[in-house]
Amino acid sequence: MSGRRNNVRGPTSALTDFLREQNITATTVAARAATQNQPVAGPSTAQANHAFDNADNAQEARGSSRSRRRRTANRDYDSDDLDDPEAPVTKKRKANSSVAKDKAKKLTKKDDDHEDEDEDNDPYTLLSKMGANPRPANGSIEKCAECDKEFSVSQYTIAAANGPGYLCHSCAKKLGNDPFKKPTAPRKRTKAADKRNIVYFEERRFPTLVSLCINVVSTHIDDIEAFGDIGALNMEAISKAMSKKRSLNSENVNLFYGAGNTSLTLYDVTKLSPAALITLGHLNPNLTSLRLDFCGLISDEVINSWCTSLPNLVQLELLGPFLVRAPAWVAFFRSHPQLNTFLITQSPRFNLECLDALIDSSSKTLTRLGLREVGLLSDDFLEPIGLLSGHLTYLDISEPSISCSNTAVIKLLKKAGFTLTHLNLSGHIGLTDEVLQCGLLPHVNTLDHLMLSNLPLLTDEGVARFFSQWSNPPLTSVESSRNPALSSKSLTELLNHSGEGLQYLNINGWKDVGATALGNIATQARNLRSIDLGWCRQVDDFIMKSILDSCKSWLAEVKVWGCNKVEGKWVTSGTRTKAKVSGIERARTSF
Amino acid sequence: MNEDHPMNDYVEGDPEDWVRIISVDGFTFLCKRKVANMSETIKNSLDEAGGFSEAGTRTYKSQERGIVVQKMIEYMSFKAHYSNVGPKEEIPVNEMMDRLPLEILLELMLAADYQEL
Repeated sequence: MSGRRNNVRGPTSALTDFLREQNITATTVAARAATQNQPVAGPSTAQANHAFDNADNAQEARGSSRSRRRRTANRDYDSDDLDDPEAPVTKKRKANSSVAKDKAKKLTKKDDDHEDEDEDNDPYTLLSKMGANPRPANGSIEKCAECDKEFSVSQYTIAAANGPGYLCHSCAKKLGNDPFKKPTAPRKRTKAADKRNIVYFEERRFPTLVSLCINVVSTHIDDIEAFGDIGALNMEAISKAMSKKRSLNSENVNLFYGAGNTSLTLYDVTKLSPAALITLGHLNPNLTSLRLDFCGLISDEVINSWCTSLPNLVQLELLGPFLVRAPAWVAFFRSHPQLNTFLITQSPRFNLECLDALIDSSSKTLTRLGLREVGLLSDDFLEPIGLLSGHLTYLDISEPSISCSNTAVIKLLKKAGFTLTHLNLSGHIGLTDEVLQCGLLPHVNTLDHLMLSNLPLLTDEGVARFFSQWSNPPLTSVESSRNPALSSKSLTELLNHSGEGLQYLNINGWKDVGATALGNIATQARNLRSIDLGWCRQVDDFIMKSILDSCKSWLAEVKVWGCNKVEGKWVTSGTRTKAKVSGIERARTSF
Repeated sequence: MNEDHPMNDYVEGDPEDWVRIISVDGFTFLCKRKVANMSETIKNSLDEAGGFSEAGTRTYKSQERGIVVQKMIEYMSFKAHYSNVGPKEEIPVNEMMDRLPLEILLELMLAADYQEL
């Protein structure tokens, strides 16, 4: 604050140096000014001001030396800024009205340390005004020029704008010269870059036609008739398009409701509140099949309401109903004794009690059961599932928190395996070849889809042996990703077994599988629709070309993430395909 | 393998070229390639490096009706123009929204989704 010595030692201006050389100091100038009282040339006027003030200050009770120090500091600061038009004007005490007016104008963004001052534009008149109204001492009582109130003069008292006199603190503030006000931060100019990105639908992206359409749909949701009559198949496509960007909300979801609807599929209902989900039940009373993905907001209330509002429901597929507690599930099962499909993914609360209730009520009818990523899944669960023997066609118990054991799984397959067409045991890391040999081999003969991903204990020989001996007809889809132990033998036997029927093959992660075995894919599996060869390092352009050529009729998707040898050269050699190949690293540049 | 045809710099069509888009009910639309390229699917199919047969004839056969194709091309021109506009200019999105008739809206949305528009 005041009295602080300005410790900045920078280059001083030529002026300061000159004055110092000439031994022109404050005292000499003051003496000259006092006697002559005439305008002196510019630079020294500043000096004169200082000198005068200094002389003035000497009379003051306190702070004289302090102010002199400040003056010195100011002086350096002053002269350095003489050439800079925007420099904050140093504040010095001025005993002058017109100068005060300029001061009032210029008082912005200054350091609190300096008082109001004004580097007067007109140095000649400046000095002449000095001495007219010496500033009253600090602490003395003065009458305000504006409001006539009495106030005590302080360091910060400002002279009145018109006429002699000083302003009290409140009047000074009114003028805008509040010395106590913190300096305002300079307003940042909004950069052109920020202005460019207009936030309409998505930030930083030109709005897509799909989003434009969705917005128009939302605004006109009440005019549903105007949209025309679109069939159920298209409704599903529309719901997919809207779900892609999570645009489905409580308003536009009404587009999909209908008293006559028997099936409803919504791919992202994150934005539907529990109330909206309850309404869903009321507005679609004839539903027999319901699938909701990303339904995190489903609560007990919703399920309880569905107990009564969806009496005909027999198929329920939910992704993410983690809030629903066991009692609600139990109540739901009791109210729907005819369920034939119950598929849920992600629920930490679904427990054995729920499963028992489900099996109790729907054991005659349940054909498809999915308990994917259900935290409480354990061997105990597999017991009641065994009771579904005879009709269970679809079983998905993948990705548990704790793996089931070999014995439990084998037991289950023994009881209920003979009707299975779809089996997913992925993620049960405790399972070994034994499950294949003693569980699948003898008891499962009607399977179409087999998912055995992430079963690290499976061995190459074991899997090969299994496929070579299995009497099941060719599988349609095989997913065996993340099993790095499996390799050429397994692939060869798998192709021998299921080559003709395979439409979907996923061997992502079979890092050691050899080129010969891979080459067999093209010859033996011509009906492939989709294949994932990620991280099978031996895949190269020749193999790719042969696959693309031979699977021409059906192949739609090929994934080769992590296959470094693939460069995409088959295009130039004339292979045309409608398959989408993803995962090719950028082609190496030739030298 | 001989590297006389490097993959990186494939020949892309000249953006000032005219390309043809044919609707399923027989309407033909001619537009500049740079406008047609606003749609990812059309761009990929007309792209000579993609190996599709359409690239040679510069014709894209859409599965949509004429009205829908017309609206899509209108949107594509809108997009082509305003994508390159300066940072200070307002994009009249609401104007474009007003020009979408309700009757074809859902069909248009499905078509736009397919065309990656």
